[in-house]
Amino acid sequence: MHLFLVGISHRTATVELRERIDFQTRGLGTALQALQARNIAREAVVLSTCNRSELYGVGDDLSVARGALVQFLSDYHGVTRAELEPHIYSVAGTDVARHAFRVAAGLDSLVVGEPQILGQVKEAHGAAALAHTSGPLLNRLFHSSFGVGKRVRTETGLGSGAVSISFAAVALAKKIFGDLKGRSVLVVGAGEMGKLTALHMKSQGVQQVTIVSRTMASAVRTAEAIGGATAAPWEDLLAQLSAADIVISATGAAAPILKKAQVDSVMRPRRNRPLFIIDIAMPRDVEAAAGEIEQVFLYNVDDLRTTVEENLARRANEVHRAESIVAEEVDKFASWLRSRSAVPIVVSLRQRFDAVRRTELDRLTVGLPPEMRERVDDITRLLVEKLLLTPTEQLKAIGDADLVNSYAEALTRVFNLNTQAAGDAAEEAPRPDTVRAGRRKVEPFVRPQKR
Amino acid sequence: MNFVPLALYVAALVAYVWHFAARQPAIGRAATTLLVFGALAHTFVVGMQTMEAGHVPVTNAASAISTTVWLLTLAYLYTEMSTDERAMGAFILPLAVVLQSIAAFNPGVEDRAELLQGPLFGVHVSSLLFAYASFALAGVIGLTYVLLFKEIKAKHLGFFYARLPSLQVLDTMNYRAVVIGWVFLTVGLLVGFVWMGNTPSYDPRLQAMSLDDPKIFVALCCWLIYSFEALAARALGWGGRRSAYLSALGFMIVLLNFVPVSYFLTTSHNF
Repeated sequence: MHLFLVGISHRTATVELRERIDFQTRGLGTALQALQARNIAREAVVLSTCNRSELYGVGDDLSVARGALVQFLSDYHGVTRAELEPHIYSVAGTDVARHAFRVAAGLDSLVVGEPQILGQVKEAHGAAALAHTSGPLLNRLFHSSFGVGKRVRTETGLGSGAVSISFAAVALAKKIFGDLKGRSVLVVGAGEMGKLTALHMKSQGVQQVTIVSRTMASAVRTAEAIGGATAAPWEDLLAQLSAADIVISATGAAAPILKKAQVDSVMRPRRNRPLFIIDIAMPRDVEAAAGEIEQVFLYNVDDLRTTVEENLARRANEVHRAESIVAEEVDKFASWLRSRSAVPIVVSLRQRFDAVRRTELDRLTVGLPPEMRERVDDITRLLVEKLLLTPTEQLKAIGDADLVNSYAEALTRVFNLNTQAAGDAAEEAPRPDTVRAGRRKVEPFVRPQKR
Repeated sequence: MNFVPLALYVAALVAYVWHFAARQPAIGRAATTLLVFGALAHTFVVGMQTMEAGHVPVTNAASAISTTVWLLTLAYLYTEMSTDERAMGAFILPLAVVLQSIAAFNPGVEDRAELLQGPLFGVHVSSLLFAYASFALAGVIGLTYVLLFKEIKAKHLGFFYARLPSLQVLDTMNYRAVVIGWVFLTVGLLVGFVWMGNTPSYDPRLQAMSLDDPKIFVALCCWLIYSFEALAARALGWGGRRSAYLSALGFMIVLLNFVPVSYFLTTSHNF
């Protein structure tokens, strides 16, 4: 059994192609059902975000599985294989773990360290668990990847600092005002940039958004586009300024529309409450000297861009720390994976020992009072477990798959084991109680021994 | 006896500074744990001294400082736990360590003069110590406010930007600490005057209780500064950085009054 992965992402495909390979619109559950119907993989998880679509699977034959998965992608999304093939990447074995861990950590994201990806990975595994397509291998893989994502987030600065202009503006506003709930935002100008930043502020819980524009009609239009915002006439600019906490200025004016003296004049009625002015207009709307006023924080596009670039540089410095966490976790996962290759032989060995124990127990304890029988049962079970403890540990510690196979062969021959049956049972080892019920029929051949 | 809490405070200081620089949650938890143990040890010390002397150990400068540090630590721990914000520890702890060192290396003899019996004296001293602890907190918060303010104003978002809470939060914390401190300062001073009027004695120290005495004069100056900050500053548009500077200035004067004036200059309060 092998882990494998087939996918496309922002690294290999254009946005047009990625949009066509999107699983989200029809739902992950539907995709998982369709995948299961084809019987390609024993276990499957579908990860789909706006930047990637990936199929994680567990199966026996890698080359067959890869072809079948690409065919599935092609059929499910109605894209020809020839179109798809050049953009597909596929990995197998522990490289799947490395890839999954890097994805969950945000190392493979378009914007390195972005925070949404971990939630999307969790969602992908949740959908697979719901559809019962995820099994022991992928469960372990995904739970480990959640752990990696969390470690990278808490132990490195990979996700810290805003990396877009409007995020940087919101982060700054939060550093000045704390919570943005109950704050009011004034947007000067009816342009697209101002609208976007205001929308972003609104999603952070800002209470009041007011739009002021030279033409009332476009102010009203922008206010409607934002939703829940109010428009005010141009003449009210200073009155609105004295009421606002945050000002986003983005007009197309050729000369500054707010002079230092004007901003200064509203500070007294404001009782010097902090005023955060974001001047994203080009050329600038607010006289730079206004930033000298006590309690006025004036940032223009270049200032915000500088902080964004600083944050990106800081994130880049954290990449190697995140990569070493990924490497550490891949090692852990790989050793777990290796220990699993010994599982079938260990299970069949245990079953054989237990079968012998039960047969003899049933044969020898006829006529004993039930509590005595239980005691003997406990003692013998403990004995078998103790005897098998060391061999189990030794087998699981073998790193090399070939060596495990030769051990398995030897053990099968020495104990005359039936490994095929045991291999299937390995996924869910039967509980002793259910086995006991099946073995009850054994007839006693000798009379009960005297104690 | 004051050395055990001092050692724990030093350890906590190291952990808080380390946490402030490296921002590792585990180190932060360790810092808090160390400080909690320091506070517990200090509680034990103060408790023992109380039992030994029969009253809270406040009658000489060293024990008064130690008790103030104890109150400051408790007040800080309360702030940290209620706001889940550890950054301030790196600024509070140096102060606690310095003051506690003074108390630990210059222990005085704790005996209560005949003059100082009675409940009014206890209220006077404990109110003032609590006020000083609040002002210490406010002063340090004011300092961090100014540091963060300068970074944001200069558009250089660096070290403190990444580590301190928002200006608004710092401003609110500063204001609360000043108001609480001001209430206790007012009560402490009033009770002091009442006590002085009600105590008939020819003790020279009592004769020296007047505005000419540096300790009393500086205390009244503090009261004026904090009254302005607590009651009038915000209405006049003196919030934010100016309030932060006022807190820092006020605490400088408190500290001046508390250590050098108490040890060397006063003729009225040298019990």
